[in-house]
Amino acid sequence: MRLSSFASTQTAKEKWDLLSAVCLERKPVIARNLLPIEKEVLSMAQKMEYRLSLKSDHEIQLEKDRERQERIKQGDADDSDMDQASLNSAQDFEDASVEELSKFPFADRITEADKEKDQKSLDRMLDRHLLLVVRQKLGTSSVWILPQGQRQEGETMRQAAERVLAESFDGKVQSRFLGNAPCGFYKYKYPKHIREQDGNSIGAKVVYHYIAPVRK
Amino acid sequence: MILVNIFSSRRTFIFTSFKENMIGIRRFIQPLLGFHTSAVQCAEPMKKKKKMDPSIIRHREQRKMKRIERSIRKLERVERPLKPLDETQIPLSLKYEIPIRQRQLQPISQDIELSQRELLVAWSHHKQKEAERDLACIRKLLDAQGKALKELKLESEELYIEATQLDLSLLPYKAVGPTRTPQIKGYDPPDGDYIDVSRKWE
Repeated sequence: MRLSSFASTQTAKEKWDLLSAVCLERKPVIARNLLPIEKEVLSMAQKMEYRLSLKSDHEIQLEKDRERQERIKQGDADDSDMDQASLNSAQDFEDASVEELSKFPFADRITEADKEKDQKSLDRMLDRHLLLVVRQKLGTSSVWILPQGQRQEGETMRQAAERVLAESFDGKVQSRFLGNAPCGFYKYKYPKHIREQDGNSIGAKVVYHYIAPVRK
Repeated sequence: MILVNIFSSRRTFIFTSFKENMIGIRRFIQPLLGFHTSAVQCAEPMKKKKKMDPSIIRHREQRKMKRIERSIRKLERVERPLKPLDETQIPLSLKYEIPIRQRQLQPISQDIELSQRELLVAWSHHKQKEAERDLACIRKLLDAQGKALKELKLESEELYIEATQLDLSLLPYKAVGPTRTPQIKGYDPPDGDYIDVSRKWE
């Protein structure tokens, strides 16, 4: 008696190797540079805001100081004006603030690692996303891929990913798995001569997990 | 003292004074001389107020004042908490300063206004495209995750269940966004470091 097509299942289940891989991403540390349209809109918005705003206390003080200077120049200054003039003017405060800002040692957006093109440093391309890529042997050739490794018995995919990550680095990585669920999937078949051998899998199914490194 | 309670078909009235009582009684209960009663009022006339010694009254008031002043001083000693931003009000003095603070600026020329409007249109297009890209990116991420989970389920039910477990160590999640310039290595803040000493109830 023939089995109906509806009831049939894969009697000889294909054997696939389950591999676990990690996407270790370094997120941007600094905001990217503004696009031309963003710069234009920003300057326009600032001008509009200036027009719609009222004068601040500092501006009022500047105006008063200016008027006082005029009066002293003209010669019709009273005693109160002379007393006020001797105190620190608002302009002095503004100048001092501007000088302090210009002297502040901001860190460079383009780091040394950028200049040296050191691809092993985390300190480069601070406004971009960086993914960890390692050189691993697949079959006979070694390729640059996201670190992957075969899942062992009794492991969940996440545990396998953690192991793969630990094996890629000598020390401990300050990283954080963003959940138990995977983020991607890739399936590939092994070359024919490997597939045809008994006991070997047809191919590999790689399950990717997403990790973000933790920064202090 | 019992008061008279007289009920008529139309009204109910209660007499409260002895004199009024007598009038009421004379009107309606004439034959009975001398003996007057009234129905029970569930009330009592006011007690006579005893006059207090004014010095004692003054003393009591003084003590109350002292207690209130002491509590005010205690509260003032503690640092006053800042008012929440929702409750802040614009100081009234500013209302009268508005004419002084207004800027006297030339009105914008037609050309500039036209160019501003064109810029805003271009900006809205740009932001729309950006939003579309962001949504497409999110959709791709979710699709990729969905595909991964589906394939994992086909491979092994157990692994799928493990993958769909909630990871409560992620909550509460905190992420710090990018800044304009990177951290200065070995920076010594002139005001010193901020060390949070607030109590934690775990």
